Amino acid sequence: MEYKNILTTCPYCGAGCNFYLQVLNGELVGVLPCKSHTVSQGKLCIKGWNASEFVTSKERLTRPLIKRHDDAEGNGSFVEASWDEALDTIAKKLKEYKEIDPDSIAVLSSAKCTNEENYLMMKFARAVLGTNNVDHCARLCHASTVVGLVQSFGSGAMTNSITELEDADCILVIGSNTAEQHPLIARYILRAKEKGAKLIVVDPRAITLTQFADYHLRQRPGTDVAVFNGFMNVILANGLEDKEFIKERTEGFEELKETVKNYTPEHVEKITGIPKDKLVAAATTYAKTEHASIVYSMGITQHTTGVDNVSSSANLAMLTGNVGKPSTGVNPLRGQNNVQGACDMGALPNVYSGYQSVTDEKMRAKFEDAWKTKLPQKLGLTVVEMMNEAAKGNVKAMYIMGENPMISDPDISHVREGLENLEFLAVQDIFLSETAQLADVVLPAASYAEKEGTFTSTERLVQMVRKAIEPPGESKADWEIICDLAKAMGSKEFEYKSPAEIMDEIASLTPSYAGIVYERLQRGGLQWPCPSKEHPGTPYLHKEKFARANGKGKFWGIEFKEPAELPDEEYPFILTTGRIIFHFHTGTMTRKTDLLNKEVPTGYVEINPKDAEKLALANGEFVSVQTRRGQIETKALITERVPEGVIFIPFHFAECAANVLTNPALDPVAKIPEYKVCAAKLQKSGGACPERYEILPLKQVQGCPERDSSLRSE
Amino acid sequence: MIRNVRDLAKKWLEGKEVDAIFGLKEQDGYIAPYLFADASELDNLTISTEYRLCYTCRPPKENILALMQRREPNTKIGIVARGCEERALIELAKRGQVDLDKVKIMGIACTPEEAKECKCERPYPSNLVIGVKSPRVEGVSGDENINALLNKSLSERLEFWRHELSKCIKCYGCRNVCPMCFCKDCKMEQEVFSKTGWLPPEIPMFHFIRFYHISERCIGCGQCEKACPVDIPLLTIFRLLRRDVKDLFDYEAGMDVEQEAPLLTTLDEMPIKEEVPSGV
Repeated sequence: MEYKNILTTCPYCGAGCNFYLQVLNGELVGVLPCKSHTVSQGKLCIKGWNASEFVTSKERLTRPLIKRHDDAEGNGSFVEASWDEALDTIAKKLKEYKEIDPDSIAVLSSAKCTNEENYLMMKFARAVLGTNNVDHCARLCHASTVVGLVQSFGSGAMTNSITELEDADCILVIGSNTAEQHPLIARYILRAKEKGAKLIVVDPRAITLTQFADYHLRQRPGTDVAVFNGFMNVILANGLEDKEFIKERTEGFEELKETVKNYTPEHVEKITGIPKDKLVAAATTYAKTEHASIVYSMGITQHTTGVDNVSSSANLAMLTGNVGKPSTGVNPLRGQNNVQGACDMGALPNVYSGYQSVTDEKMRAKFEDAWKTKLPQKLGLTVVEMMNEAAKGNVKAMYIMGENPMISDPDISHVREGLENLEFLAVQDIFLSETAQLADVVLPAASYAEKEGTFTSTERLVQMVRKAIEPPGESKADWEIICDLAKAMGSKEFEYKSPAEIMDEIASLTPSYAGIVYERLQRGGLQWPCPSKEHPGTPYLHKEKFARANGKGKFWGIEFKEPAELPDEEYPFILTTGRIIFHFHTGTMTRKTDLLNKEVPTGYVEINPKDAEKLALANGEFVSVQTRRGQIETKALITERVPEGVIFIPFHFAECAANVLTNPALDPVAKIPEYKVCAAKLQKSGGACPERYEILPLKQVQGCPERDSSLRSE
Repeated sequence: MIRNVRDLAKKWLEGKEVDAIFGLKEQDGYIAPYLFADASELDNLTISTEYRLCYTCRPPKENILALMQRREPNTKIGIVARGCEERALIELAKRGQVDLDKVKIMGIACTPEEAKECKCERPYPSNLVIGVKSPRVEGVSGDENINALLNKSLSERLEFWRHELSKCIKCYGCRNVCPMCFCKDCKMEQEVFSKTGWLPPEIPMFHFIRFYHISERCIGCGQCEKACPVDIPLLTIFRLLRRDVKDLFDYEAGMDVEQEAPLLTTLDEMPIKEEVPSGV
């Protein structure tokens, strides 16, 4: 009998918790938390605790599949194929398109896959296919962080470390439902609170953390720049800025000062709806405390003003000298296990690994030298642009690794149109996702539990992923699949024996990862920048100077702009979307987990009791939600979690997918779509009614609301 | 002490007294449970208060030892067990989960420092094989946190628990690490007891259903409190519950396989009110 515990990194959010996978006679039997891990400290969230279940799901792909278009119905059904047959089919097709125009091919890499796999995928796109058309879902979550923090600080990552939050004196949480989306990070916010820190939550919704907040500022969705400018106006009006820090460490202060002087608390109240006294009190609290941290997430990034929002948060931190010290900083929480790493590895259309620009001749020469081939110069397409170009017929073939744009991208009807318009689509995944179903060839991949590699967490911590069990059937690790495919296309530069060897190549080409080697990682993670084999890693950034070329942080005077689509008479509600603690993204993994399905089996729309009353809606009643993009049917959940005029839909559920409704309008620079604000209307759908009719308003206590059981128990 | 443990483990393995040793293994600075089948691996056998051996595996919702015994019923397993782990094994055997005939326990004592850290009343196994017995601590009187709580008014105490439980993010970690939580149809998951799909979970029912269910099974290992991501002082309530079970029924979980558990016995035959517990 063999029983062992294999330490690995959680495949869900970006907190980077570690746990052991329990393996009995080669079979996965459970998860054990790791007590000596810096962040998780022997604790996990509900998804982490259940992270072994989807791995052993009977729905896992075990053999390559090829779609036959010549079957009786003529609508294409999958038949199992050998690896050789599947890879030959893909290689032949991709070669055809490459010969005509490499930029007619687009590649989606994956924030769920390892650093090594993302590195190989971007190398495959650039060196083998000859296109910079490679991107991944970071575009949809933190593209604005990468752009915004780079223009302010010179580095687009979380400035400080997760556990430092515990010692902050004030934490400003804006656009992050931390307790649900990054539960183990919320742990440190709550611990700070118990030690006496002030907690400011800026969020239109009453999220779990607001129970403990000293100030809950409920802004109208999409008005974050005005909130930040309001904070800074109050700080400057009261002389609370850090004059020395501004003088020594920054530039552009006069421009900022000029811009924010118009954002008086009265003016900001008119824009955001936040009472001016509350704004003044919160801003003063933030400015007066010694160590103040800003924590943000998709609530500020997923806007057409995403970059503006991010740079505004950087402005606020610099104005008060809250950068470059422990327990301070600007802390974007990355939503996926390896979305930080996938960006670091250059699975982006404009940079190689380590954010080295493809348009910089010196950088390009370095990679051409290493990869022994000419590389394309033209910037590639981003996620949403790929779908647009596919719909127009300019992108003809796509290769997608471990992503599910059919649920995750905005305006899904348009995504379907794009993907169906492709002449060729290949997908490698662990399940036959909604996207894989549209593919011509599907390749079965190994899950995190079945392969080796590294993930980089939100705090820039590079950690080991270790193989606990064998992959099911004929499925293979993504890095092996990419190597096999590259070889099938004739490349000689994909002869890797192990992920460790790939990491050695990454380290040799990527200054921030230069000191990272598997031997060091076996005893614990390393935080980049880690420029040499002796370097201990970097817990917090910008200590003495910023990462910008001249070493200074830059203030940007940023004016408030309205979201792309505002409510009107026809579409009177603001629709905002997000995740919930019990599910993850497109549900590919969590909806195959029994306990998580028991908690929340399907989607719903949150609506304020006053709005529900106007529409004569009962809790649990079916409603139709419509926007200019489309319409879904779902159940109404009547709750004061959302303010009047705002509705919220979690985006995990294919049968009532929020992204049928969302607006694909993009931030002009970061090209991130505006998932967080669009105009919607809502009406009774006349569909099946719940068993219980209840006349509203429903009495609710914040934090522990009444909830109709019919919502979840069908 | 670790040398004694390794020596004895080697003796048991080489003398075929057991087929494998279930203990903690250290590798690259990380410690986790491991089944040692080969004496040559025993250099990595270690002891640590951080991990217990008998976890309930999920999704099978079965104790790891029970799973091992079901897969290979004839394998005799030696277990390096602290006091709380021995109590867990006894309680699991009492409830038909594991077969103690196929287990040989190497009982080890905790140091006074370890006992203090775990707030343990009985930091040694009944069958002590290695180490020196640290003194037994009677009741909960020595616990400052508990005394401070008991000195508060009822409404203050309610408010204390309401605050603590409102932090809950419903990870089920307290249940998952508990060696005594192995019910296939766990009541915490059921809508009828507490509403599903919401944070925080219904106060107080979500937690109370477990407090009640575990009250007379709790062996006081404190793993629930250590697994809690939001630091709810679960051991505080379980120490009080263990005290009450002791006072009311003169029962302490994990002491004797033959001794029937009060909540398993009284409800069927005789209503609780007709029981006259000693000392009341």
